[in-house]
Amino acid sequence: MVDDPDARAGDDAAHLEGCTECRGRFEGISDDAHSVASLLAVPEAPVEVARAFDRLRSTPASRQRSVLRLPLMRPSSRPVVLAFAAVIAGVALVAGVVARDYSLNYTPNTVTTVPVTVADMQALSQLSNYGDVTWTRQPQLQAATSASDAEALAGMTAPTVSNLPSTISTNITYGAMTQAEAVFTFSAAKAQAAAAAQGKALPALPAGMDGATLTIKVGPAIGEIYGDLQKPAAGSDISQMTLPQLVVVKSSAPSATSTQVTVKQIEDYVLAQPGITPELKAALNAIGDPSTTLLIPIPVQYATSKDVTVQGVKGVALGDNTGVGAGVIWVKNGVVYAVAGSIKQDDAITIANNLK
Amino acid sequence: MNLGARSMSTVRSDDEAFEDLFTAEYARVVGIANRVLADSHEAEDVAQEVFIDFHRLHSATAQYAPAWLHRAAAHASLNRLRGARRRQKREVAQALEEGERTLDPQKQLEVDEDRRHVRAALGRLAPKPAAALAMRASGLSYAEVAQALGVGIGQVGTLLRRAEAALRKEVTRGTSN
Repeated sequence: MVDDPDARAGDDAAHLEGCTECRGRFEGISDDAHSVASLLAVPEAPVEVARAFDRLRSTPASRQRSVLRLPLMRPSSRPVVLAFAAVIAGVALVAGVVARDYSLNYTPNTVTTVPVTVADMQALSQLSNYGDVTWTRQPQLQAATSASDAEALAGMTAPTVSNLPSTISTNITYGAMTQAEAVFTFSAAKAQAAAAAQGKALPALPAGMDGATLTIKVGPAIGEIYGDLQKPAAGSDISQMTLPQLVVVKSSAPSATSTQVTVKQIEDYVLAQPGITPELKAALNAIGDPSTTLLIPIPVQYATSKDVTVQGVKGVALGDNTGVGAGVIWVKNGVVYAVAGSIKQDDAITIANNLK
Repeated sequence: MNLGARSMSTVRSDDEAFEDLFTAEYARVVGIANRVLADSHEAEDVAQEVFIDFHRLHSATAQYAPAWLHRAAAHASLNRLRGARRRQKREVAQALEEGERTLDPQKQLEVDEDRRHVRAALGRLAPKPAAALAMRASGLSYAEVAQALGVGIGQVGTLLRRAEAALRKEVTRGTSN
């Protein structure tokens, strides 16, 4: 009303004509509105949309859609980070290290944990000095307003928790990730330069390694965060959100393919990097059939995982029964599932077993 | 390679959707921020931040996109209004612009002073009514204000009326102090 012509039509307008009291009130309100309108009056801002868009595009931050800004990844939510980061990091590790066939189609159907140290992770991250990573399909993480929105974005059905403990909120925040694809191309020249810059000897490159590619596909995935998450106040940093009580993630199993060299050669090469600990080498070598195993790297100090049976398949449970944090990860029919949160391990396993 | 070509087109169409959203909403986002800050340069800075935040976390095709942007513009600029950093920048900007004034200097000084009072009063209001006022004053409809604030359209009139009364009161209080 007052300054909204649509709100002052029909019966309202007729009533105002005849009722002195209402007209008086209306005039008072109207006076407030006009006075505020003049108080807030400012010269219009000159707007040049094209120039503004160019400015935005030239801002580096505008080109990043970072998965790391997920509330799940907040450092203080340690157990959740463990479970979720494990899935993501596992893909990277697996893709670089695991399978042994030429141009394999790596599709894991089981999971296992691999204890890693900070030194191992640092050594693995140095691999980016040995070639170029190109996203042929960028990972796009999007908040969704409902399960059906998330399903539409990810192109897969959202998991449903059928036995939610009464202590966990039924407020659910959905997220969806479209399938992402990255190609890593080894470059002998880059590797030489990186080694020279650090004064280290470059492990001998296998024949055909220069220009060999490794293609990794991740997702699509759907994430559900249970808990009284504050909606991200517009304009605020999403990392300020409160911690989730429970997170459920469903993702198509990652896949990896290589060209020019066998993935066994890539594995050997990775394991020859300075900085990789003997423990990691031993752990990787102990895996029976790496082409069908999803590796979950667990920091050594948190490696309190155990094998469990979830929905009839082998899974890995992390955490303990204190309720501080626990998670379960398993792979079934080409799909990776994770259930984690500030819950007891037994509860996590029960939720996992009843996930629909 | 077909896979690569298809994926590239997916990325491009998403970028196009974002550009369309930017083109459609940029002026309104700047308008809301300008209404709060009474400073067009700073309003443009806010608009840049708001769109970058949006792009990082949301899809340009999301139905809630315009409402999110309007709300973010109001909140981000109100936050600036309350921030100490703004006061300093504002003083510098005012000093720089002094030479460009076409208005009588004394008159301009009064106008600036009034605007400063009103903005200070706006900054003292609760976030929701302050945001509602800024959005409405910059030309958003009742329905758009309702969507941006997540309230029913029937509540917007009452919200605005209370906010207007509160702002007038704050302005009077600020002037008499």
